[in-house]
Amino acid sequence: MFSLLKRYRDVLLVTALLLYPLGTYLSSGHRGRDPNFVDRAVLWIAAPIQGGLTAIATGLGDAVSGYVALRGSHEEALACRSALAETRAELHTLREAEGTNARLKAMLGYVESTVEPEIAARVIGINLSPHFLSMRINRGEDDAVRKGMPVVTPEGVVGQVVSAVGGSADVMLVSDPASRVGVTIQRSRVRATAVGVGDGKSLALDNAARGDDVIDGDLVITSGTDGVFPQGLVIGKIEDVRRVSAGMFLSASVAPAVNLRGVEEVLVVPLTASAPPAALLPTTRPR
Amino acid sequence: MRAAIMLGLTLLLLSVESVAVKLFGFSVTRIDVTLVLVVFLGLRANPVEGAFTAFGVGYLLDVFTGRPTGLYPFLAVLVFLLVRLLASFVDARARGLFALMAAAATFGHALLAVFFSWLTSLGGTGTVATLSGVPLQVGLSLVTAFLIWPLLLKLDPGHERPQSGVLL
Repeated sequence: MFSLLKRYRDVLLVTALLLYPLGTYLSSGHRGRDPNFVDRAVLWIAAPIQGGLTAIATGLGDAVSGYVALRGSHEEALACRSALAETRAELHTLREAEGTNARLKAMLGYVESTVEPEIAARVIGINLSPHFLSMRINRGEDDAVRKGMPVVTPEGVVGQVVSAVGGSADVMLVSDPASRVGVTIQRSRVRATAVGVGDGKSLALDNAARGDDVIDGDLVITSGTDGVFPQGLVIGKIEDVRRVSAGMFLSASVAPAVNLRGVEEVLVVPLTASAPPAALLPTTRPR
Repeated sequence: MRAAIMLGLTLLLLSVESVAVKLFGFSVTRIDVTLVLVVFLGLRANPVEGAFTAFGVGYLLDVFTGRPTGLYPFLAVLVFLLVRLLASFVDARARGLFALMAAAATFGHALLAVFFSWLTSLGGTGTVATLSGVPLQVGLSLVTAFLIWPLLLKLDPGHERPQSGVLL
């Protein structure tokens, strides 16, 4: 028996190397596994390399664009001074309103809910599989980033943390086919689901009935019903609404509010945050 | 030693690729040229060492996808074995033929990846979008194989493919 094993040792080893990962893949399918010790070690080595390369590339880009931007900087400085004066005046007004708001809240006995601050992170790489649209950020478990946390920018939703290790985390983009986000049409309050199409550019509106009030240009925001994303974050705008003669549901595309290909800095929203900060809320109000 | 160098090179290439994709603003198309190393191993390494190193290359790519499933280690070992099989019919130790073989392997790898992803995904979503990036991937592998050939020969100067025609 042992002599047989010894004789076919090479064949058995190569066969095991071929079949073990296949078995793992077929049993876990598209879900993947949580990072193990070896994965963590690889990411621990890779994250600083990716961060360093990103910093070098960004630095070079900034140097070139900075040189180009010097032309016409005087006019820009004058415009900035003018804008600053206007902003100061606006700030004064807002402080007055804030004071009034605080007094009124105190009169009503309003209890302020505690919202933890978002974790700012930098995108250090795009993950290398066309079958799973995700990116890597330079904040991980060490910075209190956890699996399942929503990732946003001031423009809108980017995705969701799918794995976090020491100094980095992977974020599944909303455009990935596995992504599902509970949404509301801001104007008509129709509820639906935004599903990633997989082309990296758009999402599809799912579960919206044919008779629902949805038109091109409608703003789509998170409904908060999926238990992941806080209510009121911008997903994008409705495009290309189609109502076929037969069937229960309408079809529509959603153009993401965030340029998912060009995003560089993101905010990770802690799970305990029950509501998004004002800076992340849509600027247009319902009609 | 050779395996460690190959894995180090893979890690470096994957890091560069992930940053390059971000800089160039690709959405679905990914650029991955690590399969060139697997093809090189298929032509010049012995079966066990080559299979282990190919597994390592695939494993690193799997970790870099952000959702390790085991698909890429399997495909890397499969490609390694297929290249060994093919090399018994074609002597691809010249630069040009190596580049062509790397391009062909990338094409086959991409199709197999799409097939297995379709097999395990709900309704095969995203398959068409994924296929659109294959020509770019093949072209990049061709160019990379052509450019990286002298470096690979320097890293591995003395090992000629043993007994061509024998798979294992």
